[in-house]
Amino acid sequence: MIRAILIELKQKSSYRPFATAYLGGGSPAILPRSLLFELIDGISAEIPADAEFTIEVNPDQVKYELLKDLRSLGVNRLSIGAQSFIDDELKFLGRCYNAQTVEMAVNTARKAQFENISLDLIYAIPQSNSARWRENLRKAIALSPQHISAYSLCYEPGTPLYADLKKGNIRQAEEETDRQMYEITIDMLARAGFEQYEISNFAMSGFTCRHNLTYWLNEPYIGIGPAAHSCYRRVRSANVSDIRQYIEKIRHDKNACIEWSELTDEQFACETAVLNLRLSDGIDVKRFKALTGIDVSKAFGDVLKKYTSLGLIEEKQGRIALTGAAMPIADSILCDFSSFYTEPD
Amino acid sequence: MKTEHIRNFSIIAHIDHGKSTLADRMLDITHTVSERDRKEQLLDDMELERERGITIKSSAVTMRYEFEGQEYMLNLIDTPGHVDFNYEVSRALAACEGALLVVDATQGVEAQTVANTYLAVESNTELIGVVNKVDLPAAQPDVVAEEIEHIIGVRKEECFYISAKSGKGVEELLRAIVLLLPPPENLNDEPTAALVFDSHCDAYRGVICYVRVVAGSLRKGQKIRLMRSGRSYVISELGKFTPQMTPIEKMGAGEVGYVIANIRNLSDVTIGDTITDEAEPAKKPLPGYNPPMQMVFSDFYPGNNTEYDELRSAFNKLALNDASFSFAPQNSPALGFGFRCGFLGLLHMEIIQERLERENQIDVVQTAPTVSYEVKTSDGQIERIDSPSEMPDRSAIEEIREPFVKLEIITHADSIGPIMKLAEDRRCNLLKTEYLSTIRVMLEYKAPLAEIVYDFFDLIKGASRGYATMDYEFLGFEPGNLVRIDILINSQPVDALALIVHRSKAELRGRKLIKKLRQVIPRHQFEIPLQVAIGGKIIARETIRAYRKNVTAKLYGGDVTRKMKVLKKQREGKKRMKNIGQVEVPQEAFMSILDTSD
Ligand SMILES: Nc1nc2c(ncn2[C@@H]2O[C@H](COP(=O)(O)OP(=O)(O)OP(=O)(O)O)[C@@H](O)[C@H]2O)c(=O)[nH]1
Ligand SMILES: [Mg+2]
Repeated sequence: MIRAILIELKQKSSYRPFATAYLGGGSPAILPRSLLFELIDGISAEIPADAEFTIEVNPDQVKYELLKDLRSLGVNRLSIGAQSFIDDELKFLGRCYNAQTVEMAVNTARKAQFENISLDLIYAIPQSNSARWRENLRKAIALSPQHISAYSLCYEPGTPLYADLKKGNIRQAEEETDRQMYEITIDMLARAGFEQYEISNFAMSGFTCRHNLTYWLNEPYIGIGPAAHSCYRRVRSANVSDIRQYIEKIRHDKNACIEWSELTDEQFACETAVLNLRLSDGIDVKRFKALTGIDVSKAFGDVLKKYTSLGLIEEKQGRIALTGAAMPIADSILCDFSSFYTEPD
Repeated sequence: MKTEHIRNFSIIAHIDHGKSTLADRMLDITHTVSERDRKEQLLDDMELERERGITIKSSAVTMRYEFEGQEYMLNLIDTPGHVDFNYEVSRALAACEGALLVVDATQGVEAQTVANTYLAVESNTELIGVVNKVDLPAAQPDVVAEEIEHIIGVRKEECFYISAKSGKGVEELLRAIVLLLPPPENLNDEPTAALVFDSHCDAYRGVICYVRVVAGSLRKGQKIRLMRSGRSYVISELGKFTPQMTPIEKMGAGEVGYVIANIRNLSDVTIGDTITDEAEPAKKPLPGYNPPMQMVFSDFYPGNNTEYDELRSAFNKLALNDASFSFAPQNSPALGFGFRCGFLGLLHMEIIQERLERENQIDVVQTAPTVSYEVKTSDGQIERIDSPSEMPDRSAIEEIREPFVKLEIITHADSIGPIMKLAEDRRCNLLKTEYLSTIRVMLEYKAPLAEIVYDFFDLIKGASRGYATMDYEFLGFEPGNLVRIDILINSQPVDALALIVHRSKAELRGRKLIKKLRQVIPRHQFEIPLQVAIGGKIIARETIRAYRKNVTAKLYGGDVTRKMKVLKKQREGKKRMKNIGQVEVPQEAFMSILDTSD
């Protein structure tokens, strides 16, 4: 499979030079060393030397030797899927390591010369409460990562968690609790010097995730490997997810894409608006026009007026952004940007 | 044809007792319809009639029938059974000398059977009793014939037992029509007088009048006058329904058919008007009809203000073919520009609504139907109010009068208790109880229309395992202790949610209404108070909580397409909503007024 991925990578790098790389989607670190290194080598060859190159790891995969090698191969950002610093929460999430493992992982990473470390945390877990969440954040902050992603637990259909919820074995956190925890997150991280730059993402100055910003800015990106998604020249596409089929297709056609759709101007503008508004900086009006060819104040005039008057959207200095009050309830607002808006009356 | 060889009759019955099916069999036996064109309920030719399996509009058809070597002309009018379309029955009866009263042998006499009998008696129509569906295992023809004798006054020995489905007994019935029903009076030598008993509008040919020639005759090229409107026309075509329109040259006294005379607008012809000869007119017009009475009113607003003109032209088109539907411009502070529409009843409203959506694809927001009221103001004026929001200020009102009806319910004896309880709750006054047989009873009430026109029928059906049937007839307006309830959403009064109710029920209704509104109005980004006010005083409040957390935590490249779909769906839900202040109110909210359940 790695062969196939490398072929796809070579093939697609001809589109346009890559600015960042992100190796994720599960746990790349479980690959046999030689293959992993071959893959990383291949990626490094396609990106500028100083480009952001992230790899996702689980805390229990972190070994000093491995990290050292990754670092020397050009990986410069580590995203650690910590989830929690509380043992029974980790257990609930199906993780087979404990809080100590997480702390050790971060320390090891630092020893291996990683200066850009991100932690993923999850809140609104059924047995959690404000005190426990504060504790989680405190521990995370104490490890001084450069970046924190904090997600409210979500129940995706098809997962065991979802099944448990439907069966009534577990109870979803109250909306109010979820809200409180979100507010605690923003508050504590701000005091620790993190800046919220996206709905769920926080970074020390200069350490926003360049790679993920691509998504929210709706700039082109290329996904490589089974089930990977791409968005290039307004065409959204996805690779086949079955590994065997993926290899087959790459071998024969040098291409594993099985579905694609070209976005209309309206669709592209709507997506851009929805994605941009997730950012604290919001929509850059000029950039929006340049990217989509559409005037944001015209296309969404009514809805902007409505939410501005409700104090949920702010327009200033050529930017349109959600206010602090809007962030926790963003979807209820963003849905009005999902197609060009005409005021119901 | 000589008038003595003509028979004009209507088929009348309660809903679903088999009128249209009986008409089918008669068309078969008389070979009016070719084998190839046969289909069930052939006369129900409107799309909605076929879909719903009910008759909405009367249809006339002319049949040739040979009896003892003599050819007869039988003009049949199939009528609808639903209470909303009662007036169609009266119109049909006025064009006939006789009527077949059909009763389902498994159901017996029901409310519309009785109501239609009254109509027949009023118009001096000769009745033949017909017990239908005798092929069904549950049929009890003798018991039903007994009921007919008891309630309708047609002797049980004289009832015909038939199966409209199989055709059994229908031939005998045709013979009876010739033998028992009187022919029209021979008034061929009198000045022309033809009754317009129905009409419809054809896009190409203009108005088509359905006529019954009472005296004199009509012919192609004749100069005619409509006696009430005073307008004159020239007949360009006249003919028979066989059942398609078949032109002929001349129509004599007693005959039924159609007239086309280059009349462009349906409103130029009043149903019940008399056509006479321009040169040699009749002395006076034939007795006409009372115009059908509109019982319920409701406002329609375009879901989107830009569709106002489209909505108007859609209504224009509908009114062209349905003179009993009316609409007038209406402006609501909450909902913008729309139309106030009048209907014969809820089924009629539903049908118009459905045609509007189907034929025009316009999103509409509709307010809950209401009855109309009379208000006597302090200066002695009497105003007709068919929207609660138009109710004048309390200080300017001397009294409010509401419409009353005579309500008849027929049910099984074992459900009398619960039905009487329901009627009592709805302020109905029992006038009479009559046993139709040992197990079936007819209850007669004086009832406020507003209490029985919406959900009452469903309730009594529920209370009687589906047995009870009801019918009502307008009596008049009477003063009542009525008040107007106002609903405030986000502190703004919403005219379209105002309602008029009896004082004794006002507070409870108001509370229920905002409880219901709390369920149907979606949450917003802010808290929304819902309040009930009577005479400017707030008497109850509910609150719709604001969204506290509603955001997708993780959104990266691969999730975008799916997420956009989810957001679109979230937005789709708001599409048919009306913006009141900053609150998006769904269509259902306006209908929650009707929900009187707990
Ligand atoms: N078994 C049986 N079914 C019948 C008979 N006559 C009518 N039906 C059925 O009864 C139902 C109603 O028949 P229709 O002829 O539409 O009744 P209708 O009186 O015209 O109904 P409305 O016009 O809606 O008032 C249909 O399903 C018919 O097939 C009959 O003699 N025997
Ligand atoms: Mg019928």
